[in-house]
Amino acid sequence: MTQTAPSLDIFALRETFNRERIMLCFNGPITATLIEEIGTALRKHMEGLQESPSAVSDVFSVYIEMTQNIRRYTQSRPALAMETASVFVSRDEDGRYVVSAGNVLEAADGEALLQRVEPLARLDKDGLKAAFKTQLRQPREALDGSAGLGLIDMARKASAPLQCSLRPLDGGRAFFSLRVVL
Amino acid sequence: MDNLDIPQTNASPAIRADWEAGLIAMQGDSYPENSFELFQPLIDWVEAYLAQPERPLRLELELLYLNTSSIRALMDILDLLEEAHRKGRQVSVRWSYDGANERVGELAAEFKEDCTFPFDIAAKV
Repeated sequence: MTQTAPSLDIFALRETFNRERIMLCFNGPITATLIEEIGTALRKHMEGLQESPSAVSDVFSVYIEMTQNIRRYTQSRPALAMETASVFVSRDEDGRYVVSAGNVLEAADGEALLQRVEPLARLDKDGLKAAFKTQLRQPREALDGSAGLGLIDMARKASAPLQCSLRPLDGGRAFFSLRVVL
Repeated sequence: MDNLDIPQTNASPAIRADWEAGLIAMQGDSYPENSFELFQPLIDWVEAYLAQPERPLRLELELLYLNTSSIRALMDILDLLEEAHRKGRQVSVRWSYDGANERVGELAAEFKEDCTFPFDIAAKV
């Protein structure tokens, strides 16, 4: 047996994943096909754990909205086309499912995103439903190809306010991360 | 106007629209990235269909999970039906789903809130 330590310690990485109760993760350039395939695996895995159809549906839907938001954003910023995304599905210490993801943005876009996520925390169930319906009635011309509903929908499905953070990077960029507890 | 027959994929529903029968049927999940593109032919079809006088239009839905842009596209279609209904047109929706999947029933119920035409939600046991 060779005793040379590999430059990438996969075992240590795996220990970290296990400690954080990460059941499924992805780090790399994200494509439509990958979103679909990982989503299918996620559903099958949760069904295998005998989770209720509602629980499977909620986790799947937050995963889809989050990853499709990242895809849509990346496609709208050609300068960021080579940037990768990080996506995690895990359980917290109470066994609740957590969907989190992070990606690189233009710093100004990151600030704008924080401004959209933060007010959602002040809304209760009815307030979020009203916000969803208001956004649903926005004229198509005002939409820019996206329905603008994803964040509100995630907040409606979450059992706690959405948590997000922005970490400044070089070159006028920033790393945005979002965590949704179901 | 031609009939529509868009085959189902993992992420997009089967969409059929039958001009003679006045019937639209959709089955499956709907979470494509480009929901607006997917549903635009159907929106055009519904507009053309409702532009002719008198004939009733029926929607038979067995949709499961919808991403938010599919929700928006479906609402645009239901708004067309609502507008026609208010002008006296006979339109209706029947949404059947597996009763074990409560989220589908809740989604259908939320669409129904904004419709005054006959809208049946049928949970299969």
